[in-house]
Amino acid sequence: MKQSSVASTRTYFISWCVLLALLLLTLGSAFISLGWLNTAINLTVSVTQAAIVLLFSMHLRSAHPTLRIVASIGFFGIAILISLSLSDVLTR
Amino acid sequence: MSSITVAEHENYLTTDFRLWSWLTTLDHKRIAVLYTLSITLLFFVGGAAAALIRLNLLTPYSELVSIETYNKLFTTHGVIMVWFFLIPSIPTTLGNFLVPLMIGARDLAFPRLNLLSWYLYVIGAICAIESLMAGGVDTGWTFYTPFSTEFSNTHVFAAVTGVFIAGFSSILTGLNFIVTIHEMRAPGLTWFRLPLFIWAMYATSLILVLATPVLAMTLVLVAVEHIFGIGVFDPALGGDPLLFQHLFWFYSHPAVYIMIVPAMGVASEIIGCFARNRIFGYRFMAYAMLAIAAFGFVVWGHHMFVSGQSAYAGTVFSLLTFLVSVPSAVKVFNWTATLYKGRISFEAPMLYALGFVGLFTVGGLTGLFLASLGLDVQLHDTYFVVAHFHYIMVGGAVMAFFGGIHFWWPKITGRMYSDAWARFAAIVTFVGFNLTFFPQFIVGYLGMPRRYPEYPPEFQLWNVLSSMGAVILALGYVLPLFYLFRSLRYGPAAPANPWNAKGLEWQTSSPPLPENFLRTPVVAEEPYSYSADRPSDG
Amino acid sequence: MASTLSPIAPQFDDAAQQRDASNLGIWIFLATEVLFFGVLFAAYTITRTQHPAAFAVGSRLTDLPLASINTALLLTSSLTMALGVHAARSGERRATVGWLSLTVGLGVMFLAVKGLEYHADYVEHLVPSLNFSYSGAQANEVELFFYLYFVITGIHAAHVFIGVATISVIAFMASKNAFSPEYFTPVDLTGLYWHLVDIIWLFVYPLLYLVSRS
Repeated sequence: MKQSSVASTRTYFISWCVLLALLLLTLGSAFISLGWLNTAINLTVSVTQAAIVLLFSMHLRSAHPTLRIVASIGFFGIAILISLSLSDVLTR
Repeated sequence: MSSITVAEHENYLTTDFRLWSWLTTLDHKRIAVLYTLSITLLFFVGGAAAALIRLNLLTPYSELVSIETYNKLFTTHGVIMVWFFLIPSIPTTLGNFLVPLMIGARDLAFPRLNLLSWYLYVIGAICAIESLMAGGVDTGWTFYTPFSTEFSNTHVFAAVTGVFIAGFSSILTGLNFIVTIHEMRAPGLTWFRLPLFIWAMYATSLILVLATPVLAMTLVLVAVEHIFGIGVFDPALGGDPLLFQHLFWFYSHPAVYIMIVPAMGVASEIIGCFARNRIFGYRFMAYAMLAIAAFGFVVWGHHMFVSGQSAYAGTVFSLLTFLVSVPSAVKVFNWTATLYKGRISFEAPMLYALGFVGLFTVGGLTGLFLASLGLDVQLHDTYFVVAHFHYIMVGGAVMAFFGGIHFWWPKITGRMYSDAWARFAAIVTFVGFNLTFFPQFIVGYLGMPRRYPEYPPEFQLWNVLSSMGAVILALGYVLPLFYLFRSLRYGPAAPANPWNAKGLEWQTSSPPLPENFLRTPVVAEEPYSYSADRPSDG
Repeated sequence: MASTLSPIAPQFDDAAQQRDASNLGIWIFLATEVLFFGVLFAAYTITRTQHPAAFAVGSRLTDLPLASINTALLLTSSLTMALGVHAARSGERRATVGWLSLTVGLGVMFLAVKGLEYHADYVEHLVPSLNFSYSGAQANEVELFFYLYFVITGIHAAHVFIGVATISVIAFMASKNAFSPEYFTPVDLTGLYWHLVDIIWLFVYPLLYLVSRS
């Protein structure tokens, strides 16, 4: 596995700005009554922020495929745990 | 591939005889030995609990122990056997010893984490034993809430803490194996030239690292709720006991695959060697273990069919459970096919391995009975379930473990043991096992509930047969202690490759050098190339 | 600037193998952390699905301004950490120590704000099992919300604390010239851990603090 080529400091600063902007977005949207859409927006923002941190700060953008699989497998595990458990709770 | 024959020389056992050198070792082989001693001790603790259970069940009226004590006995038996014997067994003993050797490496990727994992195991075991000595736990190894969190007044906290700590031991072992297998294979050792034991360790490690953290946090929640009296598992507060069961079984179902997949790896190594044949369908065998590991994560609800889980979820889990049996079945067919046109011999390891295949098949098939929703309503929480999982875990995993210990004993210790005694012990174990557990299928089907100290008198015959079987089974387990330890003193010195087996571990001395190989081997051969040698086989 | 060379551990063939193994190892560890916290998110999801109104009430009782500040602090600390790793990779000792120290400072501020939050919760009688009292409907379920709130933020804070301690040690090692462009693995691995702790918070924040705010 080759050493990944890294992001520049400029990338880190831009990511930071985008992340803060997304924070304002998720916070702001919470004050508008949108029903279930509020949670959907919040979680979409969270996922986007996580993706930015993973890809840029954690160098997954240039990482070996094995590392990318390892990085995503935890989230798949949680997805299975929550979705199948919810399938029980929602259909009782 | 040429054998590297080495004259009598220093090996990993003789480099330093001081106790301190053992307690601070970074050598994966010594750590494997430390683990073997520890889990053997815990095996007999769990076995003692089983002996008392079977003694109590000789009569229908629980005349040996009180009901409260009986609850503690089956809990102890489960907790110790699951977490302190079966889960670590093959991976930490045979896995730790063999993974670097089989891939041509000097050690695992992280030797210090390996030693740490052993210490965590020991500390966890001490916590569990402490809970036992302080009076035991009566919740069942499954710690169902709200009994374990609100109502039990036994030593739940110490027990879950012990399991929690031991869980990190598992995680570190799995992490070590995955990194080692990815990064440290010898030149020429591509993924599809790896022995199936390595594939088994890899698949098991995936489950170890992904499932165990879920158990860890679930136990934290149980402990917090137990101590503070409030939590999300308490129905009186609006919590959901089934939430605990979902979280618990999300780990505990994959856990049973942690217990059986290594056994499958051992079986493949032994059967290939003593049938002197290439493993039939090598790639399918590897893929099947990965499929079992993956599918094993989506079937946990089959433990909850009658718990209050919705019928819809039950149906989904039932279907998925039927699917997970397919890769296991593929493996059984392939082991059988490996025997075809082989030159089979019946040394002790082979007896254990063949016993494994047969008993695992029975256990697996009865799992399908339980996977059917309708049948499970009748069979859940009866001795049918108990028999099912003992056929897999004891008839399967433990037999394979013993087979592996016998197969690699010459490599690990440099000594040969008495094959006559070993074959006798294997047969005694097989007979004792079936006598113990087959009656349990019958009495379970007839309706005898599990975890009950008393039963209707008409079931007594089956219980007596089962308890008699347990005595024979115990004999089968104790016999190896004698002839194996005797071999350490009086057994003939083992050559590098006493079984004429394929695999890098047999290309170095018995016992191995501390650094495993004089020169890093280069692999140019497919695995299990037994048939290729057969015309000139010695 | 010259740096001390790090030996290759005996089980590895070369520095590249050691580095790759360390990297794969830390990512597997991070995956275990994700699943570890995943249980809490699952418990939250199931309980909220069963008691949506109580979770709405509970969330509104949390301190949104402090939590929002904390989120910004953690995001900024991720930036400073990334810059610290970058400096270590470039062999800039002073910059490495500087950025890592800043990260520690931001982490400590996060914990301080958390402390303020917990104190306020205590004063407002929102601590389950200790002094919880809520006079509205579904008080039990609201208490369950706060149980999850304390467990989740508490365990997360423990991870922040471990991160702060580790980064402090790494910063000290950096000041003693322990790292170089050839060997800065501990800084890299610590950075990955810190970023994960940040990611976890990015999910905790909306789930605990932004429910039913309108």
